[in-house]
Amino acid sequence: MQILNVSGLRKSFKEQEVLRGIDFTLQRGEILSIIGSSGSGKTTLLRCLNFLETPDAGTITIGDRVAFDAADTRKLTAKEKRARQLQMGLVFQSFNLFPHFTVKKNLTIASELRLKEEKPQNGAEKATKKAQLEAIDRKAEELLSKVGLADKANDYPYALSGGQQQRVAIARALMLDPEILCFDEPTSALDPELTGEVLRVIRSLCDGERTMIIVTHEMEFARQISHRVIYMADGVIEEEGTPEEVFGNPKSPKTRAFLSVKD
Amino acid sequence: MSFFQILLQLCEGLGYSVMIFLLTLVFSLPLGLLICFGRMTKIKPVSWLFRIYISIMRGTPLMLQLFVVYFCPYYLFRIPLRNMGDNWMFVSVIIGFALNYAAYFAEIYRSGIASMSEGQYEAARVLGMNKRQTFFIIILPQVIRRILPSLTNEVITLVKDTSLAFAIGQIEMFTMAKRLASSEVSMLPYVGAAMIYYVFNLIVATAMAKVEKRFSNYVIK
Repeated sequence: MQILNVSGLRKSFKEQEVLRGIDFTLQRGEILSIIGSSGSGKTTLLRCLNFLETPDAGTITIGDRVAFDAADTRKLTAKEKRARQLQMGLVFQSFNLFPHFTVKKNLTIASELRLKEEKPQNGAEKATKKAQLEAIDRKAEELLSKVGLADKANDYPYALSGGQQQRVAIARALMLDPEILCFDEPTSALDPELTGEVLRVIRSLCDGERTMIIVTHEMEFARQISHRVIYMADGVIEEEGTPEEVFGNPKSPKTRAFLSVKD
Repeated sequence: MSFFQILLQLCEGLGYSVMIFLLTLVFSLPLGLLICFGRMTKIKPVSWLFRIYISIMRGTPLMLQLFVVYFCPYYLFRIPLRNMGDNWMFVSVIIGFALNYAAYFAEIYRSGIASMSEGQYEAARVLGMNKRQTFFIIILPQVIRRILPSLTNEVITLVKDTSLAFAIGQIEMFTMAKRLASSEVSMLPYVGAAMIYYVFNLIVATAMAKVEKRFSNYVIK
């Protein structure tokens, strides 16, 4: 089942055209890696998909709903914006944990705030609210165990290594059950000895159900984990295919040149 | 009059000084945040308006500003000051102080907000928080933590500045000291006032250090 359809996506910053017409689709449960040299537009693409940048042209369809259409000038309501935002999850290169909250609070805060917005009308609703808060708490603990950080729940981010911080960030993104989980160079800010633990966690998320888009420079990782690989160059998709096709037998000379430099 | 009696008399004025101090903080801290928003807005004319406001408030003496507030009902609206009520003097002191300190606080808030990384806003956004939640729950607590040392500086200055209220005749501790000094023909009341200001500030500084400590449960990297 198709979960994402990106069509004709364009984005310029001042005079510089960073995305020059991007088209691709993604099936539910599929893992897509996006590779390419710096400045090829892959991070901008990911930021557009997470609504952190507004594309100049094109459409983004998530599931069967058009989440973005550059031709549609109607202003979205706050509710609509949030709904489409929550369909996507994003793990940043620089983690962006909230330093003033404990690890666990980093996970729970967004869900708690969402819950708090619905004012309870009566005693029964208050009781369910309490149960919901407890459920949020339990979920956070489960996810922390999943990324191997159950014992760090009450620590502050500064006390964690970069690898641990990124694992917290992954757990935080998972808290909201996004349709599509995106990673923006999740290991690029880490020392080499810390990338392993983060990649292991990402690998453990591949269960055939979860849809993921991973922008990465870790070629070997991309090759092993992905169902499909996109190679981007100069704002366009230069090559697209299975890992075997793109890494084993690249058609485009640009891809070949990029991969040979990387090796 | 013994030194002890002088101190007792000064403490009568101290009550007003403390009230000016507290009321100024209560009004100027939130007002400063609003002015900061005005100064940082993308709407150019509004931003400039607040820029000019801050510039004037910081560029002219507080004592003069107190005169302006105190006399403005008469010069602007031809309302005799005696019709302004018995409290007008005190009220105008509070208005003057609050307007002045809010300008300074606005710039301190601005420095703190500007020092926040874009990543914090983006993280809050992808987690579905709205603008209000992002600011008050993610950004502001971190900003306060960062600006506390500069805030402490201003608050300590405010303790000493309360003595400027004497310029328009408002009774506070410095007014008392001045009166006592002339009636007793002695410098002792000034010595006493200096001591009380110092102790006042010692308490303020200790309290602010406590607040700072409360906010430093985490380290900023």
